[in-house]
Amino acid sequence: MTRHPDNDLVPYLRGELPPAERERVARHLEECPDCKQDTELLRDLLGNLAHLIGQPPVVNWARYRAELSEKLEARRRQIVWWRRPMPLALSASLAGVLLFVAVWGGREMSKSGDPLGPDEVVMGQELGLLQDFRTVERLDLLEDLEVIRNLDGLASEHQG
Amino acid sequence: MEPADEALCERVARRDEAAFDLLVSRYQERAYRLAWSILRNAEDARDVSQEAFIRLYEVAGSFRGRSKFSTWFYRILVNLCLDHKRKHKWWKLWVRDDDDDRAETILDRQPAPVNDPVDKLSREETLKALGSAVDRLAPRQRAAVLLRVQEDMATYDIARVLKCSEATVRVHLHRALATLKKTVEKR
Repeated sequence: MTRHPDNDLVPYLRGELPPAERERVARHLEECPDCKQDTELLRDLLGNLAHLIGQPPVVNWARYRAELSEKLEARRRQIVWWRRPMPLALSASLAGVLLFVAVWGGREMSKSGDPLGPDEVVMGQELGLLQDFRTVERLDLLEDLEVIRNLDGLASEHQG
Repeated sequence: MEPADEALCERVARRDEAAFDLLVSRYQERAYRLAWSILRNAEDARDVSQEAFIRLYEVAGSFRGRSKFSTWFYRILVNLCLDHKRKHKWWKLWVRDDDDDRAETILDRQPAPVNDPVDKLSREETLKALGSAVDRLAPRQRAAVLLRVQEDMATYDIARVLKCSEATVRVHLHRALATLKKTVEKR
């Protein structure tokens, strides 16, 4: 016997299943008394539920429509308020100020910020040199000056 | 010939008030009934269904006609109902849980009185228990059941309203009905 087609029973009762699936469920129901009984119970339940859920309390539709019109009008006024020149100008000014602060602040931060790249920071932390990085950088420069100063000597040695 | 809902919706997008009025009159009863079935409170159902019409007015331009207008509109409505239930869940813990309408409606609306008083009592008790069980279903399960039995919607359309797959709708329906079936069997 195939698996119980639990989830397919409601679509089966409503005739929504494609022919092949419908055939499969029908065959199963012939072989499985439990599923057949479930299907009958579901059929009754679906039929009775509509009555059981029933009808809501009566509504005065004229009043309903009047309330709806008022609410819609209130919503329109709300939208129109946002489109008036004054709030629009205020919003635009505020947005401008925020943009200026974001851009200018960012530039200032990048000027005053640490010029080291992430790789250098990691390497410095590993070598314990980060605290004296300026000194190390200057020592590098002195070394470069030394090489430049001795270039003539190196050239003459090479020729000799 | 009456204009189709879809054509009216296009006109609403162009701010045609007459088209909006016509759509409201076509759907107001169904929208209110469905909202009430999910929320079980007349005032909330009125507010939420009215909000659904306001949303319809505001977003009519986004209706692309890929589904039926009714499916698209029910999606707006059911989402509002489910949101409303979510937002007011905490509040329900502090106030009485049985809503103003529910207690009286379950029994009062039942047809076909039975002559035998014992049978009648048993039937009424079963219906009352079933009514409570429907109210206790998870919101999406209840919405799926209501769209099926009240609006007679196909699984495909329910899936579009609830924005889920057809398989998920089948599972929702199966679980909801299995819960209700258990309620009947206990009696």
